[in-house]
Formats: sequence, structure tokens, C-alpha cells
Amino acid sequence: MTTSELVLTLAGAHGVAGSEGKAAGLARGLLSACGPCEQTPLGSLICRVCTAPEDRPHILLVAHMDEIGMVVTHIDDNGFLRVGNCGGVDRATLPAAQIQVHTKDGILEGVVCTIPPHLNPDESKIPKMEEFSIDVGLDAETARERIQLGDRVSVRSEGCELLNRRVASKSIDDRGGCAAVILAARRLADCAPLGCSVSAVLSTLEEVGGQGAKTAAAALRPTHAIAVDVSFGYTPDSPKHKCGELGKGPMIGIAPVLDNRMFEDLKDTAKRHGLPYQIEVMGGETGTDADAVAVAGSGVRTGMVSIPLRYMHTPVEVVSAADVEAAADLLAAYVIDTFGGNG
Amino acid sequence: MDDQMLKTLCGLPGVSGAEEPVRYEILKQIEGHCIYRVDPLGNVLAFKKGRQEPVHSMLFSAHMDEVGLIVTYIEESGLLRFTTVGGIDRRVLPGKTVRIGEQPGVIGSKAVHLKSAEEKDKAPALDALYIDIGASNREEAEAKVTLGDRAVFCTHYCEMGDGFLRGRALDDRLGCALLIEMLRGELEYDAHFAFTVQEETGTTGAKTAAAQIGAEIGIAVETTTACDLPDVPPEKTVCALKKGPVLSFMDRGTVYDLALYRRALETAQEKGIPCQPKAGVYGGNESRSVQTAGNGAQVLAVSVPCRYLHTPSCVAHRSDADNTLALLRALNGAFGG
Repeated sequence: MTTSELVLTLAGAHGVAGSEGKAAGLARGLLSACGPCEQTPLGSLICRVCTAPEDRPHILLVAHMDEIGMVVTHIDDNGFLRVGNCGGVDRATLPAAQIQVHTKDGILEGVVCTIPPHLNPDESKIPKMEEFSIDVGLDAETARERIQLGDRVSVRSEGCELLNRRVASKSIDDRGGCAAVILAARRLADCAPLGCSVSAVLSTLEEVGGQGAKTAAAALRPTHAIAVDVSFGYTPDSPKHKCGELGKGPMIGIAPVLDNRMFEDLKDTAKRHGLPYQIEVMGGETGTDADAVAVAGSGVRTGMVSIPLRYMHTPVEVVSAADVEAAADLLAAYVIDTFGGNG
Repeated sequence: MDDQMLKTLCGLPGVSGAEEPVRYEILKQIEGHCIYRVDPLGNVLAFKKGRQEPVHSMLFSAHMDEVGLIVTYIEESGLLRFTTVGGIDRRVLPGKTVRIGEQPGVIGSKAVHLKSAEEKDKAPALDALYIDIGASNREEAEAKVTLGDRAVFCTHYCEMGDGFLRGRALDDRLGCALLIEMLRGELEYDAHFAFTVQEETGTTGAKTAAAQIGAEIGIAVETTTACDLPDVPPEKTVCALKKGPVLSFMDRGTVYDLALYRRALETAQEKGIPCQPKAGVYGGNESRSVQTAGNGAQVLAVSVPCRYLHTPSCVAHRSDADNTLALLRALNGAFGG
């Protein structure tokens, strides 16, 4: 499987926040060769890639497997659904989107309703979330029988490969990060035993607060962690100073909540191995799992590696497979160079 | 209704002025069932013998083209600027995957995290949008895309819920499929058929098609906007799914022949085929071209009610397609004598 295929396969799985079972099942299959896997009470997937004696460092590599989406809040008397957002959905991408409702008995296809322009002439106005309806082609009785309030709704998006090894799909935030962690875990498993323990964590609930990573870190009590997420990739409508560029390598984060030494070591590792990288500066917290992991238990030294991504939180998120690979290379090299000796 | 044929037709790109893939498929489907030719604009003109010769010649038309996008400029960054071909509400564009020939691309939107509260409530202007095919500069993009290339939404065709069909370009591949079904079956009276080009950009193809055929009765087989949706008051619903074909008495383009309209309603009633008048003066179709071509023709529009027209996700109901086919066959019988 190429890296592009790995990213698209992961991104294609369903896993709206709080309903990550399908994504977790897929990821478990991809990680199981790297070490024993288990799931936390909140559903995060843990793979123990290398186990070293207790007194050695324990490195946690974490990416989140949940995705943004919607949740069914109401079924009207004609069978149309109303929804709330589950994470930061961009309402501009919803009109006429093809969606899937994930019910206990399987998937129902649907469409986000649009009112025709002749009845709705202000083309500049995006409806509020509570004003959107969803059409699943069922009458009220059947809809109420088959759909439960609380069922998750995801936007359907056929992933595709673009030029320059770039891929587009829903949910590359953060299945692209999951792909990098899986690739790094495979590399590290091949090098075992190492002078440190390594756990890969694919967390739940990041898009709604980071509860999955927080509790996984509490359970594992690592000494160090690297959160692998996506960050803004530059497009002409975005502020350049807040963005990285696609194809120019992963972004190494520096922020008050992140560990300065790890920032320096990650940069040095990249330089030593000739890996491309960019710097991402954040003023306080990072808005990722890193924030929760850093303050888990008695505190965890935490670094941050981000893959630049265009069109975040739309069904057409774009990353470069080369950046995903470079992120994986950086993670593996950092762990081996910094903690790997005396295995 | 042949589901596989409809699915195939809906999957083909055929933005106005670039209908070749659709025309090719239609020719394949009607081969052996009629005589036909392709005219200079690309319309497919077909004729099929019925059991009898009609007193008044009749033409059934459906358009092959669909709304879509056209590439207007390639930025130095490799991003593609575009405009719409036909009436597309710009609100349906962000976050969609498109295909330019074989090349996929996406219409993105700035990360929601970087949008101000005001920006979150506002649809980006068409000028602010672009297609990203992954090219990192103009040269790379130019190797794949030429100005004037058309783009269509990449969406998944499927059945939805209880007998609903969801797909791009049901407007008007559904009409094309109905005409193909008529051509494949038996007709009571001889009839002309036109699969037209460029309906969405000015009902251009129908003008020349009707002028060449010179039929006395012209029936446009279309899809029309159904607003049987939440938050739409009943008087603005226009038509509803699962209530049968829609008959127009007037729209923004045409005042239809009143006698023909009334006879169509009566015919439906006699045959027990559900049907509904289009309750509102909205939209338009190629009847306006057929009506005034040559010496003029009496016109009627028979449409399948369809939700979310001109979006990536049109929705129609199978029963309406089947009932429209039944009505069209009945009208061939009723209008021929």
C-alpha cells in the first residue's frame, strides 16, 4: 500500500467524534503487526510498539482518529432530519453535500437540503446549523424507526489522488497524522528492542475537546509525547504567517505548552537526516491533543509535529503524501536517536 | 425505467457545449431502435415509426447538457479559476470534488478556524473560489488542463431511502433516459425525438433541432424544481416528489398551449396516471425555443419533479420517472389522432 493509499484508506473510514469504532477497527488491523493493541474506556487505540524496563523513558506518539461531523437532533413530520455539529464544521461546505447517516443497523445515504435560489435569493448567506435539513428519502415513521437521535452524520467524499502526490478527502484531519504514526510505529517495531518504551495512541474525541488523548496519557503515564496533527497549509486566501506549505515537510511546533528541548531535538534530528521541515509557532496552547497530553498526570514533556493541510474541516482536505512520509521519518528518527540506544 | 442506463448517463460529463460523452452513450442506446442523425450543433435527431401516422407531427425533446464549471484562468500557483456554465448557486461549490476530464480537483475553502464570525456566515464570491488539482505551478497545471475545459462535480449516484434516486445531472439525463425508453418500446404514432445541446446556456440546441424537424407539437421532457422541503410554505412548493409528472401551463420562458395542457391532464386522468400541474411561474426550459422555431409549434412540458436541481446532488423518485414514461406514451397516443 502506498502512503497515498494508506492516507485515503484511513480517511475513508467513518469516525465522527464519539463514534470512532469503524476507524478504530481499521487502524487496529494496520497496527496489530507492530505490537499488542488495546482500547481505552473512551475508545482510544493503544499499540505498545516497544517495551523497555520501567526506568527507561516511555514515548507516546499520538494522533487523533475522530473526525468532525454532525449529529441527528430531530426528525420532522415529513422525515427530514435536523442536525447539530460535532466539532467545528464549516457550514459553507454543507449545501447539497452528499451525506451518510450512521445508524445502528448501517448507513443511510442522504443530501443536505438546499432551498432553490428563486425562493432563497441571497446567495451570500450561509444558513445557521439549526437551519439545515437533511433528506434521507424516508417518511417520518420509517425515519424514526431507522434513525435514532444521536446518530452521527458524515459528509461523503470520494477520496482522490491529485498531482504531486497530494491526496484529497474528508477526515485527513487527522487520519493523515494517524498514517504518519502508523508508519513510524512500523519502523520502530522493526528496530525493537529499543532503549525506551514506545506506545502509539490513536485517540478519540479530539474534535470535541481531547478527552481521548488525555485519558490515554493518564493510563500510559509516558515521560515524553509527540502529538501528530495537521496544521494550516498555505492557500492564497489564508494568512501566510499562520500557514506552512504543502510539500515542504512537517511543521515542528513551538508553543508555551510544548517542551523546548524536544522542539530543538526534533529540528536537529530533521537536519541530521536531511528531512525537510518547517516551524510552526503558537502563542499558547496548540488546539490539539498536545494540550491535554502535556498536563496529564504529573505532566508529560510534549512535542508537536504537524502535517500542512489545505482546506481544513472541509470534505476536501488536501495533504502531500511526501509530508506524511517525512513526518513518519522524523518521528522514528527522533525516537531512535534520542532514546533508542542501549536496547 | 432502466436503472443501469440512467446511472450510466448521470455519470457522464456533459457540460453545455461539451456533450460528446453523453451523445455517444445515447447513440449506443438507441442504435437499432430508430433512424437518427447528428446535426451541426451536436443535437441527436431521431425518428421512430409507430403503428399509425399521426395527423399532427410531434417532437419529444430532452437536453443532454448539464450545468457545470469552465476553467477561465490558471494562476501562477497552479490553481484554476473558473466560472459557472448555466445557473449554479455559488453556495453549493465549496468543499466539493470535481473532475476535469480525467483529472480530479477540489474546490476548497479557507480553514474555518481562520474565518471571522462574519466570514463563517457568508458564502465566498465566485471570484474567490478556485479548483486545486495539486499542481504547484502554472506549468504543471497547463500539462493537464486547458482554458475552456469543463468541470463536473464528482458525486456518487445511488438509490436513497424509499425509491429515491440521488445523482448529479438527473437534469436532464432523466429526460434523456425516458426518451430512450420510448424509442426502445412500441409507439402508437410516428414521432420525432431530439436529444439537444446547450439547453442550460440559452436553450440553443432546441432552436435548431425544432427548426429542422418542423413538428406541429413539441413536448419537452424535463426535470423541474420540487420545493417539498422543510421551511417552504405550501404555496411555494411548486411540485412534490411521488405525485407524478409535472405539467406546465406557464413558466419564465414559455406560455404553454392551453389546449395541449388540458388534454394532457385529461389523458393522465383517463389512464389513471398520477400527475400534477406546476403550481407557480418559475424557471423555464427549451419549450421556448421549440415554440418559436420555424413556423412555430404548440408546446407542452412534461417534467419529473426533482429536488436540489443544479446541485451536485439532485434527488428524484423512481415512481415519478415510471409515471412520466407512462404519461409520455399515453400522450403519443392521444396527440397523434
